[in-house]
Amino acid sequence: MSYKSHSLRQLALQKFKKNVWGVFSLFFILFVGFISIFAYALAPDNSMHANQMHLSIHSKKPGFKVQMLTMPNQNINKQSFLSKVFYGEKNTITEIAISDFKVDKDNLFYTEYASDGIIVVSKSIPLQAFPEGNYKSFINEKSFVFGTDKYGRDLLSRVLVGARVSFFIGFVAVFISLLIGIFMGSLAGYFGGKVDAVIMWIINVTWSIPTLLLVIAITLALGKGFWQVFIAVGLTMWVEVARVVRGQIISVKEMQYVTAARALGFNDFRIISKHILPNIMAPVIVISAANFAAAILIESGLSFLGIGAQPPMASWGAMIKDHYNYIILGKPYLAIIPGLCIMSLVMSFMLIGNALRDALDVKT
Amino acid sequence: MKDNSILNIEKLSISFGNNKVIHGISYHLNKNEILGIVGESGSGKSVSSLAILGLLPKQISKINSGNIYYNSKDLVALSSKDFENIRGNKIAMIFQEPMSSLNPSMTCGNQVLEILLHHDTLSKSEAKNEVISLFEKVKLPDPNRVFSAYPHEISGGQKQRVMIAMAISCKPDILIADEPTTALDVTVQKDIISLLKELQLETKMSIIFITHDLGLISEIANRVLVMYQGNIVEQGLVENIFKNPQHNYTKALINSRPSLDTRLKVLPTIKDYLEGTFREEIITEEERKLKQEKLYMHPPLLEVINAEKAYISNSGWFSKPETFKAVDGVSFKLYEGETLGLVGESGCGKSTLGNAILQLDKVTAGEIRYNGIDITKLSKTETRKLRKDIQIIFQDPYSSLNPRIPVGEAIMEPMKVHKLYKSDKERKEAVINILNKVGLSETYFNRYPHEFSGGQRQRIGIARTIALQPKLIVCDESVSALDISVQAQVLNLLNDLKETFKFTYIFISHDLAVVKFMSDQLLVMNQGKVEELDDADTIYNNPKKEYTKKLIHAIPKGL
Repeated sequence: MSYKSHSLRQLALQKFKKNVWGVFSLFFILFVGFISIFAYALAPDNSMHANQMHLSIHSKKPGFKVQMLTMPNQNINKQSFLSKVFYGEKNTITEIAISDFKVDKDNLFYTEYASDGIIVVSKSIPLQAFPEGNYKSFINEKSFVFGTDKYGRDLLSRVLVGARVSFFIGFVAVFISLLIGIFMGSLAGYFGGKVDAVIMWIINVTWSIPTLLLVIAITLALGKGFWQVFIAVGLTMWVEVARVVRGQIISVKEMQYVTAARALGFNDFRIISKHILPNIMAPVIVISAANFAAAILIESGLSFLGIGAQPPMASWGAMIKDHYNYIILGKPYLAIIPGLCIMSLVMSFMLIGNALRDALDVKT
Repeated sequence: MKDNSILNIEKLSISFGNNKVIHGISYHLNKNEILGIVGESGSGKSVSSLAILGLLPKQISKINSGNIYYNSKDLVALSSKDFENIRGNKIAMIFQEPMSSLNPSMTCGNQVLEILLHHDTLSKSEAKNEVISLFEKVKLPDPNRVFSAYPHEISGGQKQRVMIAMAISCKPDILIADEPTTALDVTVQKDIISLLKELQLETKMSIIFITHDLGLISEIANRVLVMYQGNIVEQGLVENIFKNPQHNYTKALINSRPSLDTRLKVLPTIKDYLEGTFREEIITEEERKLKQEKLYMHPPLLEVINAEKAYISNSGWFSKPETFKAVDGVSFKLYEGETLGLVGESGCGKSTLGNAILQLDKVTAGEIRYNGIDITKLSKTETRKLRKDIQIIFQDPYSSLNPRIPVGEAIMEPMKVHKLYKSDKERKEAVINILNKVGLSETYFNRYPHEFSGGQRQRIGIARTIALQPKLIVCDESVSALDISVQAQVLNLLNDLKETFKFTYIFISHDLAVVKFMSDQLLVMNQGKVEELDDADTIYNNPKKEYTKKLIHAIPKGL
């Protein structure tokens, strides 16, 4: 049997490959996914939540450079390599931005960095404090590619680490919404009658509550935080999936191959899972891509309102919230950079949704 | 001839993308004649007529070469603006599906009115009178009522009459009728055909009548074109074509339709004709009698006693619920190894009865006994076991296969569910065996349904059905969606399988000729009731009821 057969899925994939924007978006999303997984390995500031503050150099322009003195003799706890890569450095080390330093006999004198030409008295540490007196490796020049935020944290690192929240909320929320939505939608569509009436009632009630309000209610009930938002967003989004699944099942149910499956004596579970669901996946995939984008937006909105990811955790929405008043103070990049990140990720999900719709030939 | 022709098509070639579908055909249409174009699906008969009206989809199709002259004006070179004056006004068209070609949100009268007002300079009241007289012309009952009726309020045949009224409203020179009766019942078809003939005599217009049904074309047309794979294989006067067909394809087309007079053992297929291998074998009445006597000695396999299926419609809160009996007191006995034909027009309840026997729908009253056990009272799990014994072959080969499952797996799945055979390896062997039996090669095992033609899909559907080794098979219009030549192949296959596996069939169809070829007993249904039940040949030769007579009389006979 050397004949190569083409399933509908393969045909759709071939069509998708021809869509330039779709493929581009796919690569962009994979790129963001890669970043969010290895954020701490990539970020210049790999402390947990990229939370290394230097108040003296707050809100500097992109490309800002300064000499940085790392204080020696700090308690260092052991942390495994994997934990470092995935959760960031847990030890908080003190770093001081300096404008000048000199060595005199046994002491290292340094001048702390200060903007606006204020003269600061220099301080000193004994050279013995450095292991083997080798102070040079403790003084480095650090550059901040995206500048620093209002606490003097590296904005680039915060953006990279913040990608995690946005990316994972999409995944978790879409996963939860698919789980509940497909289940409820299949029941309503396949069995119809009273089951349908009850489920449609639940759907309509959930639908009528404004999304943001419902999410606020759920976060209040479950407590503020990162995971609660994931679940809350997922719980609001299943209605759309359920409605689409229900509508599709009602029309596919009338197809003769479903009647054929019934006549062949298959049970209901097998008919739904093997004969109906694979045939209605196209619109579900398309709506999932849209939901992915919506989830990211809802999370940013929630973080902006202060009920999403809690500080010091980095999240794009929270970063905009922290810095939106800098927009009129001549430092708009602090809010614009995370804003652009949200926009590009949401847009690539939208574009991929469009490309999938064309490839899978869903008529909506 | 030349001066008499109104439409001349010269060396017309059309392609869809890179796929050439019409290969340089030439024909002409005379004034005051009915030209029949006959061919199977995909032969290009509809495409060539759409080209005349300039209705081909522009993005995907292209007229490669050739000319269409209407009164010596070349339609191929015409701009779309000029076409508007010709379309509807000079050349009109009737489509196949009357159900979907009328706008459901406009009254029938207004839809015809719109055309008149668009093409003519009439006042509104004049136009309305004109519409009513048109409705009278197409013999619609109570034209005033139909004028203000919405399409869903009138029957399919009446809708087609409205469509015809629309088409002739501007007194066109040419009327193109593309399968205008395919979606209708035979009795309605007969009325529409005679209406078209009368109209043609009266108005002296030319009609191009497109159909796949040779019998039908012989009743209406003066001249016939036979199309096959984008070519005209034969053309001439009806009598010449039918009495003395030259091309093998025409011969096959004429003969592969089951005849009403003789009972052939095997139907000839197109391949038989092209290779010249067909031998005619007729089953004589004595042979048939002998065989049937044997069948009726055993106790019946299936017994239906007073089966009734009622649908209750809730029309409103205060009005009483209305009951509609789709099947009303039907009783019959079916013996092992026999084929019961079930005929009737659409809506007579024949499919509902089939579904009730399969337990896909529950009957509301009465008993259905299978091997002496009343299967209407079985539990859900017992019913599922029974499914192994009673199976169905569907009408539409395109929608009866799950598009996401390769065919081999689709045939294997029921075996798995019913735990036939021990291992997947044995099952796979069994599937390959069955595929060979229905005339498909084992290389098809991993292919998907969309890679097959209609006839092949129907074979796959049959393979899946017989995979469970059932005893009783309900064939619900199993061949009506197929072309005549494919239909003959599938009917032969069904008969072969019956011989090999000792199946019992219930053969549901609206096509009396097919049913007569297949069945031993014949059950004629009308409005949910049994009209007549007897031996197939007996009913056909001496119908007792008026309805049966009408039904038999309405079948296009051919010449």
